[in-house]
Amino acid sequence: MAIVAEQSRFSRIFWPTLAWITAIVVFFPIFWLVFTSFKTDADAVKPEFLFKFTPTLENYSNMVDNYDYWRFAGNSIITSVFATIFALVVGVPCAYAMAFDPTRATKDVLMWMLSTKMLPAAAVLYPMTFLTKNFLGIYDTKFLVIVVLMLVNLPIVIWMLFSYFKEIPKEIIEAGKMDGVDTWGEIKEILIPLAWGGIASTALLTFIFCWNEAYWTVRLTTTDAATLSSLIEGNRAPEGLFFGRLSAVSTAAIGPIVVLGWFCQKQLVRGLTFGAVK
Amino acid sequence: MTEWLEKHAPKMVLAPSFIAILVFVYGFIGWTAYVSFTRSKLLPKYDLKGTIQYERLADSPRFEVALTNLAIFGVLFILFATIIGLTLAILLDQKIRTEGPLRTIYLYPMALSFIVTGTAWKWILNPGLGIESVMHDLGWTDFAFNWLVDPNLAIYTVVIAGVWQSSGFVMALFLAGLRSVDNEVIRAAMVDGVSTPRIYMSIIIPSMAPIFLSAFIVLSHLAIKSFDLVIALTGGGPGYATDMPATFMYAMAFSRGDIGQAASSATVMMVIVTAIIVPYLYSELRPRHD
Repeated sequence: MAIVAEQSRFSRIFWPTLAWITAIVVFFPIFWLVFTSFKTDADAVKPEFLFKFTPTLENYSNMVDNYDYWRFAGNSIITSVFATIFALVVGVPCAYAMAFDPTRATKDVLMWMLSTKMLPAAAVLYPMTFLTKNFLGIYDTKFLVIVVLMLVNLPIVIWMLFSYFKEIPKEIIEAGKMDGVDTWGEIKEILIPLAWGGIASTALLTFIFCWNEAYWTVRLTTTDAATLSSLIEGNRAPEGLFFGRLSAVSTAAIGPIVVLGWFCQKQLVRGLTFGAVK
Repeated sequence: MTEWLEKHAPKMVLAPSFIAILVFVYGFIGWTAYVSFTRSKLLPKYDLKGTIQYERLADSPRFEVALTNLAIFGVLFILFATIIGLTLAILLDQKIRTEGPLRTIYLYPMALSFIVTGTAWKWILNPGLGIESVMHDLGWTDFAFNWLVDPNLAIYTVVIAGVWQSSGFVMALFLAGLRSVDNEVIRAAMVDGVSTPRIYMSIIIPSMAPIFLSAFIVLSHLAIKSFDLVIALTGGGPGYATDMPATFMYAMAFSRGDIGQAASSATVMMVIVTAIIVPYLYSELRPRHD
């Protein structure tokens, strides 16, 4: 309700205060994680040290020196970036074709693609592991991770791009056609500049999804192509022993997304709601 | 030739993704469905043996727990995420100047890796390390919060973490909905002296019915696929008290070496998802674009 006639002094102070207290509560698990990452493993398990402790960078240096942090981080960056790029390279022409040259089957194709996203990945995991390990020999390669990340996100990418492209008046594209611009020229010169905001939101969302992906990356890699998700999984195992270290790894894994999200708030909100919020 | 190319170019650019989805998703799902009708155990076998795997599944107490958990989790998760999301949206709609950053903060849980945030929740809910022991240190020694290790209550901790993760998403959907409500109607109601809570209850919330539906679909899909959430928080435990169909399937395929059970439980999951999602997608896509 955008029209609240006039606000009393009370509501001018009360609502923002309440909203910010809620925000702190929402963010609390993440604060907890970040705090713990600056404690020693011994301090981390003592709750009385929740806020009073001597900050240490020991966990971070340990993570970099002994746990090969940069290799995992590098794999995460490479696989997420390339999977996002490839998903867009395939997704943009695909969504373009569906948005501006629809056939009677377009809606069914779109729905069908999206329906695959709804199906449980569990049903595909076993044959995927079996095939890549025993027949194709691409298990635990960055190539496989990129292909899988791209494929699992493609339906969402196409769906989002399609809904953005739909907003562009068809006449603009047709005018280009009249002027003798070919299909590729239309995409490059007209479509991409016009739909830039939507493409950026889609790219950010895809990147976030790839970065966070654990289900596939942990299970289709062992060492060579393992991403930060695997590093966290690996550190979770000895229950209750290395909380400081585990928090450092976790903080280092979510840090880039928190920062990226903060600077691209508009795209983040638009992307995470799958284009529902303009 | 150029003309032919021009005419068929859209189909040709569509073809690769079409084929990729066909092979990777449907091919593998078809394989899984097929295997669920065989006697596969440690290795897949390909001679059809009828519904034997489904009979075993029906007799399995562990699968029963998984389905019960899915029902408990699904209902509570969708209910609370919707209520809290709507409340947050109404809160942010009170002309708060810092709405942008607040909206981002509320949405963050959805953007962050759940194996990370699940781990954080695991400590917070852990009786020896988290809230309970902090309360004890603050002097409230009777305070008890040990749901995470109680087989009967552990599933509710999964609900807590799931609601935390998804409420911001629901909030963003509702906030967009609140902004698109017809202002004229609200103004007219205000002129008539209708109270603000009544305006929300009788005008604004009913007008957002389509958003409730979208939220419901996305949330139910998250509920059925909640794998990372359970693994990060409880690992399905204590025992198999917090198993869900997805974790059941995973345990069968990868630690119990029972491909037949894995395939049949995966097929059951697919049927459940299809029953919920497909009718919605049809109703959503048909009228709008045809």
